[in-house]
Amino acid sequence: MIERYVEIASTYGGNIDALILLIAALVGFWLVLCEVVFIGFIIKFREKPGVRGQYITGEEKHQKRWIAIPHYLVLVCDIVIIVFAVNIWYTVKQDLPEPDVTVRIIGQQWAWSFVHPGTDGLLDTEDDIKMVDELHVEKDKVYHFKLEARDVMHSFSVPVFRLKQDAVPGRIITGWFEATKLGSFDIQCAEICGIGHGMMAAKIFIESPEEHQKWVALNDPTEDSKHTSTVAANNAAAN
Amino acid sequence: MSDSHDHHESHGFMSYAFSTDHKVIGMQYMFTGMAMALIGGFFAYAFRMQLAFPGMDVPLYGIVSSAEYNSLVTNHGTIMIFWVAMPVLIAAFGNFLIPLMIGCDDMVFPRLNRLSYQIFLLSAIVLISSFFVEGGGFGGAWTSYPPLSAKAEYNLTPLGSSLWLLAVALEFVAFLLGGINFITTVMNARAPGMTMDDIPMVIWMIVLASILFMASVGPLIAGAVMLFFDQQLGTAFFDPDRGGDPVLWQHLFWFFGHPEVYVVLLPAMGITADVMCVFARKKLFAYRTVLYTAIGTGVLSFFVWAHHQFISGIDPRMANLFTVTTLLISIPIAEMCFVYIATLYGGSIRLTTPMLWALAFLGEFMIGGVTGIFLGASGSDIYLHDSYFVLAHFHYTFFPIAIIGVFAGITFWYPKMFGKMMNETMGKIHFWGTVIPFNCIFIPLFLLGIGGQHRRIYNYEHFPELAGKSMQDMRVFATVSLCIMLIFQFVFLYNFFASLLKGKEAGKNPWKSNTLEWTTESPPPHGNWKELPNCYRGPYEYSVEGREEDYWPQNIPDDEPAGGAA
Amino acid sequence: MTTRLVILAMLSIAASSFGFTPANAEADSNANGKELYQLCAQCHGKDGLGNQVALAPAIAGQRDWYLLNQITKFRSGQRGTHFYDIAGMRMRPMALSLRTDQDVADVVAYVAAMPPEKPAATLEGGDPEKGKTHFQVCLACHGPNGEGMQALNAPTLNHSSDWYLLTQLQNFRAGIRGTNPEDVTGAIMRPMSMTLPDEQALQDVIAYIMTLSESK
Repeated sequence: MIERYVEIASTYGGNIDALILLIAALVGFWLVLCEVVFIGFIIKFREKPGVRGQYITGEEKHQKRWIAIPHYLVLVCDIVIIVFAVNIWYTVKQDLPEPDVTVRIIGQQWAWSFVHPGTDGLLDTEDDIKMVDELHVEKDKVYHFKLEARDVMHSFSVPVFRLKQDAVPGRIITGWFEATKLGSFDIQCAEICGIGHGMMAAKIFIESPEEHQKWVALNDPTEDSKHTSTVAANNAAAN
Repeated sequence: MSDSHDHHESHGFMSYAFSTDHKVIGMQYMFTGMAMALIGGFFAYAFRMQLAFPGMDVPLYGIVSSAEYNSLVTNHGTIMIFWVAMPVLIAAFGNFLIPLMIGCDDMVFPRLNRLSYQIFLLSAIVLISSFFVEGGGFGGAWTSYPPLSAKAEYNLTPLGSSLWLLAVALEFVAFLLGGINFITTVMNARAPGMTMDDIPMVIWMIVLASILFMASVGPLIAGAVMLFFDQQLGTAFFDPDRGGDPVLWQHLFWFFGHPEVYVVLLPAMGITADVMCVFARKKLFAYRTVLYTAIGTGVLSFFVWAHHQFISGIDPRMANLFTVTTLLISIPIAEMCFVYIATLYGGSIRLTTPMLWALAFLGEFMIGGVTGIFLGASGSDIYLHDSYFVLAHFHYTFFPIAIIGVFAGITFWYPKMFGKMMNETMGKIHFWGTVIPFNCIFIPLFLLGIGGQHRRIYNYEHFPELAGKSMQDMRVFATVSLCIMLIFQFVFLYNFFASLLKGKEAGKNPWKSNTLEWTTESPPPHGNWKELPNCYRGPYEYSVEGREEDYWPQNIPDDEPAGGAA
Repeated sequence: MTTRLVILAMLSIAASSFGFTPANAEADSNANGKELYQLCAQCHGKDGLGNQVALAPAIAGQRDWYLLNQITKFRSGQRGTHFYDIAGMRMRPMALSLRTDQDVADVVAYVAAMPPEKPAATLEGGDPEKGKTHFQVCLACHGPNGEGMQALNAPTLNHSSDWYLLTQLQNFRAGIRGTNPEDVTGAIMRPMSMTLPDEQALQDVIAYIMTLSESK
């Protein structure tokens, strides 16, 4: 259902959508049931001439049953949701698979900066590719990201990945993703970070291995190649 | 009981402004809250217009800049929670109703009560003044996360942010004073014969809310002092570069912030219970269950705060624990909703304006409640966190609480407050004109949130995935609905003030209600009763078999023949 | 009762006067520029004198064509997209918040019309005498009195904050500014900045620039 609005482009995106649907089904059942009974009672027990209300204390056992049984059923639903939610949480946030590539992501007022490892595949070396508002990743590879903030709280949010993680100044937070779909998608900042928060947009480019190699070669800072910016081109197109 | 009765009623401004009568103070809270609601509603109008029509010169406002947008959003939230929901639901109804419903002549600490309102008024003035200082009002969201809120170089509102913080802290002081008063009064000044089981639910809920507030606000006041020092004295409690920790603030804030949700929810629940019982002519289903679930909710609410912080850099293992507690809190709340529905069973329901509001509260609040499950479950919160889904969920809980619940209370007790009846036709026009647009505002926002729209964004044109026409259409639809809803509020204002002048005389007990406030004059005189009432039974003895009347006021002795003072 | 009404009325007046401007369909450019400038004022100050803490330079007294050029560069990403350009990254979204060319033109006109003022010096340790020698390279484009020259896209330096001149010279030298392939005018400045031999020379030349004024 959610895919109609936002595509899924990560390995765990589908799981998160499934969890949302599961919750929707369970709570939807309760909501519809309650609203139907509720509205039904309002209609059925409208004031009628000569009919008085009934005196029901709700304190007796057979009356309390009407509350007690549903509330045990709600508890069962809660447990089901907890099991699935914790399971998915564990996959996304706790159990990080071994990375193929590690990138550094830095939030600042009001742009995202990305450090790609470059040709040698290692961070913090000469050939790191440093980019503003552009993250280039390869499809079907496990990425770790090291998330930092230069000034205030930001939140690295990629809707197509169903991924969100706050960037906290003074900390380096590690997370992971594996992209499954080619294309370019929005990166948002989901935590208010000042007057430019509403314009702090970046893009993630998910590329095939060949494309990605080409991009790396083109932007290798140790080579004497020119820095190219697709941001400029995108903005020209947007305006 | 109080020392305020030695001077006689006089009508000068000074005696009004410095009155220690609980009814006057309650009214002052209510009118201040209503005035603040107008400001908060106006802010919502301004920023919703910007979202629907980016860059528009908004009528009555002007162009909304991104700095102003943040400030409008921040202060809309702050005002609606701290200067509308709290003062009206707890302070106004608490002050007005507690002595009247428990059958005493005033609060036990009338002067403390007066001081509480004065500090509250001061806090409102400080907040409003913060919009006009150099740099403008604070724009770091109502949660005010540092380092953004702590440093002027980041938030660019050097004075606005400190004034905002000061106003919030003052407001807390006002409510601490008020809360002490409520709890003490209910525990000590009940009418003879009124046991714990005879206290009307709305009073119980206000007392529980006051206890919750007092227990939760301490850490945040400490946090506010630290943040103020960070802003003005350059300390580093929340500055990571100098050994502080910005996430600490989030813990302090949400340790208060989550119980706060129940602080405002419980009084609205209480109002609804009372209104429903009166107009369904029914005894409240399982009185003690309601009370215990409310207490259970209150206790549990202290153990769920970190679900606001799942993705904020806390230890991911902690999220599992808070998922469990958060989902567990759905049980007492669900149980309360079941009880309310069960109360309607077998009733003789009169759809008066207050009853419509009370029913709408329950119907809408259930939507707000179930959508919370998506956010309390850590796995789905990864995607929905800080999206419009959160915003819509929040408004589906808070709008029923702070607007629908308040209208239920005002329309129900208006005859007691002013001795006049409100116009029912206008009341119903206002009801439908508020509730229908309310759903039209926030259902699209749920969809936008599922579509990945994140919060507090000035202009979605910068995010290609969110800038599409269908999404923009939903934003426009929500904004137009908001404007319609705001226009309908004038019907209420007109009804409110016109009924003061030409409303039908209410008499003592127009709704044929049981509780003690309906046994005195409308409006009640200074001191409330010529002779303080006794209490002989619970508040919800409606439709008791074998009685001629279908209600049985609390103050009528068992042996007295049927019939009440109507 | 009346006092309640008074409170209500007062608060609602407060609400409506907050940011109140009369709705006028034919709001002229000047009013538009003034209103749009409110956002700029958050950092650059209401008189355009800048705020070093917010990394915002003085802009009062700058020429309209230069302002227009730079805002355009920020909007297109020629400036404010370098990894180390902290201040530029703050400016870029602000420039992007102007939605139309008309908005840009209006706010530029408003800023250009601000009364220029010489910002107070914040740097110490520069020798204006030595700086004068270094300035010989600069005056070809920026003019003998630092008044700037539109034909060569050289901005006036007379009303710039000294700390801003320093960071921009450093940025040009480090390749943070003037290296974007589309930034043609910045590319001209970059080699010029390289002619200054060392950090001290930057301080000196700025110290000299601070002594200049157009009336000379």
